Amino acid sequence: MTLRMPDVDGEVLARRARIVSALRTIVPGEGVIDQAREMRAFESDGLTAYRQIPMVVVLPQTTQQVSQVLSFCYTEGIKVVPRGAGTSLSGGALPLADGVLLGMAKFNRIREIDFDNRVAVVEPGVTNLAVSEAVAHAGFYYAPDPSSQIACTIGGNVAENSGGVHCLKYGMTTNNVLGCEVVLMNGEVLRLGGKHLDAQGYDLLGVLIGSEGLLGVVTEVTVRILKKAEMQRAVLIGFSTSEDAGACVSAIIGAGIIPGGMEMMDKPAIHAVEEFVHAGYPLDVEALLIVEVDGPRAEVDYLIERVEAIAKTCNAVSCQVSTSEEQRLLFWAGRKAAFPAVGRISPDYFCTDGTIPRAKLPQVLAAMKKMSEKYGLRVANVFHAGDGNLHPLILYDANNPGELDKVEEFGSEILRLCVEVGGVLTGEHGVGVEKRDLMPVMFSEVDLDAQQRVKCAFDEKGLLNPGKVFPKLHRCAELGRMHISGGKLPFPDIPRF
Amino acid sequence: MTDVLKPRDAKEVEDAVRWAIGHEKALELAGHGSKRAIGRPSQTDVTLDLSGLSGVTLYEPEELVLSAKAGTPLAEIEALLDKNNQILAFEPMDYGPLLGGGAGEGTIGGAIAVNLSGPRRIKAGAARDHFLGVAAVTGRGDSIKSGGRVVKNVTGYDLCKLMAGSWGTLAAMTDITIKVLPKAETEATVLVSGLDDAHAAQTMAAAMGSPFDVSAAAHLPDHVVSWFDGLPNAEAATLLRVDGFAPSVMHRKEALAALLKPFGPVAVLDAKDSQTLWRGVREVRPFAVGAARERPLWRISAPPRRGHEIANLITPAAQMFYDWAGGLIWVAMPVPDEPDAGSIRKAVAQVGGHASLIRAPASVRAAVDVFEPEAPGVAALSKRVKESFDPKSVLNPGRMWAGV
Amino acid sequence: MQTGFSLAQLLDPQTAESERILRACVHCGFCTATCPTYVLLGDELDSPRGRIYLIKEMLEQAKPATREVVKHIDRCLSCLSCMTTCPSGVHYMHLVDHARDQIEKTYKRPMADRAIRALLARVLTDPAKFRFAVTMGLIARPFAPLLNAIGLKRMAAMLKLTPRRKPAPPIERTGKVHPANGERRGRVALLSGCINPVLAPSTDEAAIRVLNRHGIEVVVAAGEACCGSLVHHMGREAEALAFARNNIDAWTREIDGEGLDAILMTVSGCGVTIKDYGFMLRGDAAYAEKAARVAALAKDVSEYVGGLAILPLRDVRGLTVAYHSACSLQHGQNVTREPKELLANAGFIVKDVPEGHLCCGSAGTYNILEPVLAKGLQARKVANIEGVTPDIIAAGNIGCITQIGAGTSIPIVHTIELIDWATGGPVPEPLAQLAAQRAA
Repeated sequence: MTLRMPDVDGEVLARRARIVSALRTIVPGEGVIDQAREMRAFESDGLTAYRQIPMVVVLPQTTQQVSQVLSFCYTEGIKVVPRGAGTSLSGGALPLADGVLLGMAKFNRIREIDFDNRVAVVEPGVTNLAVSEAVAHAGFYYAPDPSSQIACTIGGNVAENSGGVHCLKYGMTTNNVLGCEVVLMNGEVLRLGGKHLDAQGYDLLGVLIGSEGLLGVVTEVTVRILKKAEMQRAVLIGFSTSEDAGACVSAIIGAGIIPGGMEMMDKPAIHAVEEFVHAGYPLDVEALLIVEVDGPRAEVDYLIERVEAIAKTCNAVSCQVSTSEEQRLLFWAGRKAAFPAVGRISPDYFCTDGTIPRAKLPQVLAAMKKMSEKYGLRVANVFHAGDGNLHPLILYDANNPGELDKVEEFGSEILRLCVEVGGVLTGEHGVGVEKRDLMPVMFSEVDLDAQQRVKCAFDEKGLLNPGKVFPKLHRCAELGRMHISGGKLPFPDIPRF
Repeated sequence: MTDVLKPRDAKEVEDAVRWAIGHEKALELAGHGSKRAIGRPSQTDVTLDLSGLSGVTLYEPEELVLSAKAGTPLAEIEALLDKNNQILAFEPMDYGPLLGGGAGEGTIGGAIAVNLSGPRRIKAGAARDHFLGVAAVTGRGDSIKSGGRVVKNVTGYDLCKLMAGSWGTLAAMTDITIKVLPKAETEATVLVSGLDDAHAAQTMAAAMGSPFDVSAAAHLPDHVVSWFDGLPNAEAATLLRVDGFAPSVMHRKEALAALLKPFGPVAVLDAKDSQTLWRGVREVRPFAVGAARERPLWRISAPPRRGHEIANLITPAAQMFYDWAGGLIWVAMPVPDEPDAGSIRKAVAQVGGHASLIRAPASVRAAVDVFEPEAPGVAALSKRVKESFDPKSVLNPGRMWAGV
Repeated sequence: MQTGFSLAQLLDPQTAESERILRACVHCGFCTATCPTYVLLGDELDSPRGRIYLIKEMLEQAKPATREVVKHIDRCLSCLSCMTTCPSGVHYMHLVDHARDQIEKTYKRPMADRAIRALLARVLTDPAKFRFAVTMGLIARPFAPLLNAIGLKRMAAMLKLTPRRKPAPPIERTGKVHPANGERRGRVALLSGCINPVLAPSTDEAAIRVLNRHGIEVVVAAGEACCGSLVHHMGREAEALAFARNNIDAWTREIDGEGLDAILMTVSGCGVTIKDYGFMLRGDAAYAEKAARVAALAKDVSEYVGGLAILPLRDVRGLTVAYHSACSLQHGQNVTREPKELLANAGFIVKDVPEGHLCCGSAGTYNILEPVLAKGLQARKVANIEGVTPDIIAAGNIGCITQIGAGTSIPIVHTIELIDWATGGPVPEPLAQLAAQRAA
């Protein structure tokens, strides 16, 4: 593993036995796992390229236990890495050799469903799909729908500000969470927000969401639930160039239409899925667009017609409109199977995640084709066309020595390009460890220091998930100082303007 | 010693803040100063006038993104968007008339800094949900940026969320990037007459729980309806707006009207009357005209279904109306100098949510908590966050809470 | 996933097969969402993904299994829900079967554990021994709570599963041919097995009636015996293969004799194993081909009957049936629609059970060997079923019927018995009261 992680604290490791027995008094029974052979199962999340056995695994069941564990670690100077379902694709739950791996999967109850206020109060270990399933009987659902929704947890969604196909129209996790209970690294339990619709003071909940487990451990979440649309229909459009596909997306948005979802796949991706799912995708197109329109019946039928018309003006070479729910699901079956389908034609794959201004897609795709030749690695692309979030899937074989290094380089090059064309390093998978060392491509030292200072406000000892997101660790005291000389700060006199 | 600094660009903003740090001066941040009268009274030495940082720097309608300097007038941005059939989806409130100023004032920076979200919040999200990227000068004199120009972005901490609604206490924003959305082709408002507050809450919940995509839900009790134009009678009015493409609106308004019939007499208002009505809601009209302007005004945020309970927990002489399906309550207290904070705080503690004293004389705002006091742990964290951005308390010190 | 087997290790075909399976896993974690033990415990080690990890390590290191590994593999129900969920096609069943085999070969279980497993392996694989055990169990049943209290939880669990009535008297069933009513349109073998003859002879009798009624001759092959499923799941591979070979011989005689269109099972737990005979004996030169042929003919009774045009004779309209989809049917054999369609065509109102993909906790001998987890799953399943307020529960596996039946007062019967009733057969005994009410 070529990844540098924070220095291991030998002093903490020396105390390991004592630490484990102290943790066992807080979380009894099977909640503390300390044998290497068993801890190995926790050594990585969905990014299997990076693995590290933790010092000890703790699986608490109550907020009280979480608070006590964190408080203990705070006092003893022990690092903590939180983990949900371990489906992160950026290594967010990668353990530390001298740290506690805090698994939150036992927090799996839905505490309250409040249809009057259209919220659900859930524990962080509840899966994303389970929330929607729990409110389905009343015709409601939880909108953010990452592809891993069957398994990923709400707590993880909060940490990563997860998106999904429908976030184009319905927003990401941060737009769909109203409150939470969070435990800070020193064990303090705080409540932020609730069932009301805006923050009381600073939007601390807003900065917590997407903080990748660095600012606090969430122990309860209040999410918004929405009424399901009356109807959903999809259009499957094929193009002979990605430029045409991009132009079609722009035209749809330009016409004032915000589809429920808009996804694009390139030729390699289309071929990979069609072989396994047989969704009926055209094999001779360079780009395939799936546009889903949802809403009240009257609106959907009207908009589908308009989308069809727009597609024709954009040189679509094929255009199919779903006429039944079965057909709509079939259109999607291929896209949803993209990752596993790719997994069947290659022993391993690396999924990257960058966002670009949509107009830059053809340029980025062309550049990636060249990179693919340079590295000798195949790549298939799946693209959230509506919001510019790109998922290049780099195919490789982990059993080939040296291949993983090439993959990492290829991935980095793609992400640098994303930033270069005006985009960002990560759209929804998070920075984690995967993109940590690329942060300086997007942010200056000053920018990163400002973010680090926020971290200091939440966790001044820097014990919560260090080594993720930020390439450099600073001591908070050092960051907090403002340099004073001669009793005065060295700033200019009154500005002349 | 000048008491107004007006920088011309972001670099000069940085210089100004650094000067203030160096000379231990406190700065009041102002765009147009339209919301100057909200918050704890100013304890500052110098005003940093950011209105010189004006102008749209990027606008790509098909990418749904617009960037502008923070001091750009909101009206200018709204006009530009309107020309391209787009809108600020969070439908910013207009506090101008409320605070004794004119309508249509204010900068985009100000709107974001106070998370100025209007009726459409319940469908499209608040201002903070459309705030994609920022360049700002912190209270340390550091020019930083966060976010970007794309919607899907989880790179680093979401400092935009922190800055939205921070009332200029963390950083002086110089450049703002926001998401913009298509303007609806048309709209209509379904109106149910004569409901009391509790039944109105139930009605609005039913509408929000329908698949008809309601974009605004408000309830005007009978004691405030006379201030609104376009209402068919003098009874209490519960309003549900649907907007979008014409064929869609046509069907949905009828479907919604049918759904709400069991709750009371139903009428449907066309686009023009609907727009007039909701403008009144955005301007908090009942408490923005005439003698009402003297009354202390609370803005309460509560769980929508429970908002109506507040009325029973405070003086019956208070006047109020509801937005956000009952989740936003504007409460005007009867006596000019008496906000009756005690009863408001107690009511909010029982129902959930928080209350801000949006309008009251400066002396009152100095004596009473303007923003809801936070629980000790949260308050301490807020203080630490403030210190991380502005350790010398240079930016709007004490605007939100004492000592922060 | 990256694997670390040596070339020498990969020379062993079983290891090579497992390595192939391991490479297919990309560690995505989707399987955790539908695994009953993960849903209950929230511990990665009790999820398929975690078990795959433990198995991988055990096989790569070629060291004896440890107590921790055995604990988590033992907790696996082999419900195969993970296989239904897995987007990458990981054949978890073959992997865990290999692991269980490895555990039995390298791990010395505590004496009590060995004793009870040996007892189950002996008693549950032979109808005569099972009948005797049930009779004894009836006598000892009142002592179950006492046994539970003093820590003999598994013995207690076993006793609590003993049905309250005397087992059916012994009848020789093998070697019998049941001719079709009227013109013979097909010929099938029916596995009589070990448990049904003792606990629920009505099931096979109903199956035979339905088949005969629709022109199908049924033979219970001479010499047939246990399918080997239970010992296979305990990792006692030699015993399992011996049982498999025996049955393959018995059916091969029939295939080569009068011929067979299909080999049917009324116990879906057996069906999974019999359909896997081809894989299990792929390395046995003498049996590989015969095993594959038998496996290809194997069908669940609902699959086969679903292909016949059944003639509903009795009016069963208005009766709501909650269809409990046994794991061995839906996950193990991918049979999901057929039983429901059968019931619907027969006139019943069919309701799905929420969380239908989750096991009821029976899982072969699981409800005896892992009583605490089994009880948790039983309670969850019963709550889900009772939530849809059915008149009747239908299932295709005696294990489920026993497990769920012990937790609810709603009558539960085998799917085929309902079809028998609807097509002219007698009313199933648990429904006698219900039927009387309708007649009145």
